Amino acid sequence: MLSLQHISKFYQVGGTRNFVINDISLEVEAGEFISIMGPSGSGKSTLLNIIGMLDEPSSGYHYFAGETVHQLKDKQRSALYKKYIGFVFQAYHLIDELTVYENIETPLIYQDFKSTERKAMVADMLDRFQIVGKKDLFPAQLSGGQQQLVGIARALIAGPKLLLADEPTGNLNSKQGEEIMQLFKKLNKEDGVTIIQVTHSEKNAEYGSRIINLLDGRIESSKQL
Amino acid sequence: MIRNYIKTAWRNLIKNKFYSIINIVGLTAGLAIGILILFWVQDEFSFDGFHKDAKNIYRLELWGGTGASRQIWQATVYPIGVLAKQQLPEVEDVVRIGYNGDFASYRYHDKIFANDRVAYADPSFFSVFSFPIISGNANKPFNDDNSVVITKSTAQKYFGNDNPIGKVIIADNKQNFTVSGVVADFPENSSMQYDMIMPMSFNIKHMLAQKIDLSDNFDEYDCFTYLKLKPGTSLKALSAKLFNIHIKHHSADTDVAYLLLPLTKMHLYNADLTDRGITTVRVFLIVAILILIIACINYVNLSTARSMLRSKEISMRKIIGAAKSQLFMQFIVETALLFLLSAVFALVLIHFLMPVFNQLSGKQLIFDITDYHVWMVIVLTISGTLLASSIYPAILLSSFEPLKALKGKISSNIGDVMFRKILVVTQFVFSIMLIVGTIVITSQLSYIRSRQLGYDKSHTFSFPMRDMGNHYDAVRAELLKQPGVLDVTRSNQNIIQMNGISGETDWDGKAPGQTFIVHLMTIDKDFLSFFKMKMAAGKGFTGAVNDTSHLILNEAAVNQIGLKDPIGKRFQAWHIKGTIIGVMKDFHFASMREKISPAVFYYYPSYLGNMYIRTTGRDAPKAIQAAQTLFKQYNGEFPFSYTFLDEKFNDLYKGEQQEGTLFNYFATIAIGISCLGLLGLAAYTAQVRTREIGIRKVLGAGVSNVTIMLSYDFVKLVLIAIIIATPIAWYAMSKWLQDFAYRINIEWWMFLVAGLLAIVIAFITISFQAIKAAIANPIKSLRSE
Repeated sequence: MLSLQHISKFYQVGGTRNFVINDISLEVEAGEFISIMGPSGSGKSTLLNIIGMLDEPSSGYHYFAGETVHQLKDKQRSALYKKYIGFVFQAYHLIDELTVYENIETPLIYQDFKSTERKAMVADMLDRFQIVGKKDLFPAQLSGGQQQLVGIARALIAGPKLLLADEPTGNLNSKQGEEIMQLFKKLNKEDGVTIIQVTHSEKNAEYGSRIINLLDGRIESSKQL
Repeated sequence: MIRNYIKTAWRNLIKNKFYSIINIVGLTAGLAIGILILFWVQDEFSFDGFHKDAKNIYRLELWGGTGASRQIWQATVYPIGVLAKQQLPEVEDVVRIGYNGDFASYRYHDKIFANDRVAYADPSFFSVFSFPIISGNANKPFNDDNSVVITKSTAQKYFGNDNPIGKVIIADNKQNFTVSGVVADFPENSSMQYDMIMPMSFNIKHMLAQKIDLSDNFDEYDCFTYLKLKPGTSLKALSAKLFNIHIKHHSADTDVAYLLLPLTKMHLYNADLTDRGITTVRVFLIVAILILIIACINYVNLSTARSMLRSKEISMRKIIGAAKSQLFMQFIVETALLFLLSAVFALVLIHFLMPVFNQLSGKQLIFDITDYHVWMVIVLTISGTLLASSIYPAILLSSFEPLKALKGKISSNIGDVMFRKILVVTQFVFSIMLIVGTIVITSQLSYIRSRQLGYDKSHTFSFPMRDMGNHYDAVRAELLKQPGVLDVTRSNQNIIQMNGISGETDWDGKAPGQTFIVHLMTIDKDFLSFFKMKMAAGKGFTGAVNDTSHLILNEAAVNQIGLKDPIGKRFQAWHIKGTIIGVMKDFHFASMREKISPAVFYYYPSYLGNMYIRTTGRDAPKAIQAAQTLFKQYNGEFPFSYTFLDEKFNDLYKGEQQEGTLFNYFATIAIGISCLGLLGLAAYTAQVRTREIGIRKVLGAGVSNVTIMLSYDFVKLVLIAIIIATPIAWYAMSKWLQDFAYRINIEWWMFLVAGLLAIVIAFITISFQAIKAAIANPIKSLRSE
């Protein structure tokens, strides 16, 4: 599904280069569930952002769904990730001014779905996540777990092939966290969504099919579960 | 999609009440005032444009006189227009309009009115101009010389709801005029304003009876001539042809030069296209634009400053798929919604302000929402300001890099702090300029009022005596006995603004070809003592019989013709011939815009129709009552109308007065809106710097330190604005003052006062927010980080 080859990301500080990602190569097959781990500052989030095309590597080759990403223009790249990728964040990042319903609906609006289509899709998603009763509430009125649920629903609404999650349970208690992980597992198994998550938790990492450990911008180890 | 935008926009509006209110109040005030001024400007430009053939109609004027007294005369001789039509194919039609001063009162049954809005005009008046005839025939408006066409409201006044056609109005109890037509009331934006129009042929016959043949008279310059020309006529060539016609009939007038002033320009321009109001219109147009810009700047500043606080939302939208163009649209819709709300409030505000504005500006504007001109102004203004305010913030906001914004890496530097500072400085430059303008105008007006006029006008009223004048001596004696009456005198016209002018002058030692125009006034023997005027040389009139062959000149006249030892020299003006017996010290008999002109005073008791009564002030009502009783005794039911000289004097400066008052309001509003913006920015800065303030306080900073720190940045901007505004305002106001022959100097303290005012107001605005931030508990602000 995607392939990174000799990807590096560095910042020029004075005369020296400060590497955040240092020559990483990585192949991801459709249907995988990958957990990226590593201490703070090891480059996990940066790697995830590069995969999600929110950030550009300083050098290296990036292929995604048959496209040569590093050669694409901004517009084509955003069209590509709009179509294939959904994001989940540690701090949920819901839009405070929109209700649960509207938050989930927004990506569809930007992708020019018709109003009736949108209605059906959002209703379906609310149903699936069992948050129909909360559809008119604003994010501030929800618990952290519920907000993350909405965040995931929003990431999934347009039917992405790849779900990128940056410490999705980082702000949740262990019980909420576990529920989210169960949900991810189910999505991966039953719907075939490829998932890449960054996590600090050993336990959560084990929900995945592969664990990649980063240290100082390099892949230290990779293990198939 | 659009519904979604509106929904989001509305929620944002509600969520940030403080900023929304600041924005809406500022925009509403700015739009309302801006639009009001633009209505005024549009009305000024619309003058005389309603005539169907406006483009082809010109008023004929001319350069007359020589040397220092050469000036534009608006009135022409009677025959020139008629001859032009007969001889020049490019002249399609001609209308002559003469002022009708032959009659003072008009009566129908028991209704008597004095009326000075009466003209003599050629029948073509109704076919060349587009004043709609309600009844009668536009092509044959007068049945005979004794016909009259009256306006609708005049008909109403005389005849109520009766059919006015055929009714007879009696002028001065001796001349009958039969109503032959009714014309719609003249529109407010018409330079010509009449109640009754009588045939020019009556005037010609009337003058012929006095042995003056107007049809071949090239000396009397007292009719307005309008020419309707073929499209594409060369004005220069025509003016030369008119000169040739003139010279053929009156070969002495070699220095006459004809000018053709387009009908649509005659309200704002002189015939040589110099300023006759266009400057004021331009100034107001600029002021309107300045106020609108100030209001727009508020919005741009607040929305870009606060964009930082919205970075998270914007980034999220981008990550979940918003294209730049979609975000751009969202912000445009947000701005549009705010503008729409403000526009609605502004229209309501205009509705309520209109009467006040009319009173201040002396106009009769109507806020008529069915008039497309009104909507043109409103739509243009709102869309212009919307465009100016929405594009930059929308571009800025929609171009955030999502990842950075999300991580909070967009520092407070986003959106260019420098740009916002420039805008704030701009606002205050405008505001300070308007304040300086207000100060200069007010000072100049008070200077005019306090300036020595050269005579005493206090507690004096004046009125035309009419038939009472025949019994002047008895009336004067009677009046002097009345309580409250201090003194009585008479002349032939009002001293505040002398109108009589003559160019037929001759004197001992006049150079051949030299022309000289003087103001002429006949005065009674006690006129000088009544007004406490002083002689520079010689003596005044004594009332002796031979005084009718004596003249008094003012200093300006003596100086202008360079007459040495004037006493005893021979002088002639108009048909008044005599020897100079005295030179009067100059006094002002016109607006201070003009230098004191040459004037000649003579003694002709039979011309002395205007009475002046000086009262004690306290007993003025008694004096007026006494004068009225005597007036009625000799004039019957003729209406008695008097004016105090002070009032008439103030009327001279009505335009300036209105300008001053309006400027006062404009400056207040401009600075008010600017400060609203400042308030918003200060609140925002305090919010963004909460953490810094907290740390400073923990380190020991006091409330005053923090307040000063926060205020300093803004006050600095106002200081810069003062530096920029000073030379611009100085230049602009010097130009304004140049129109006055007698004027103040622009002093440094005016800028100091304006600057201090701006700083104090700005500081008060900011310090509220600064103090609020400074007294907040630092623990709280630090914990929230």
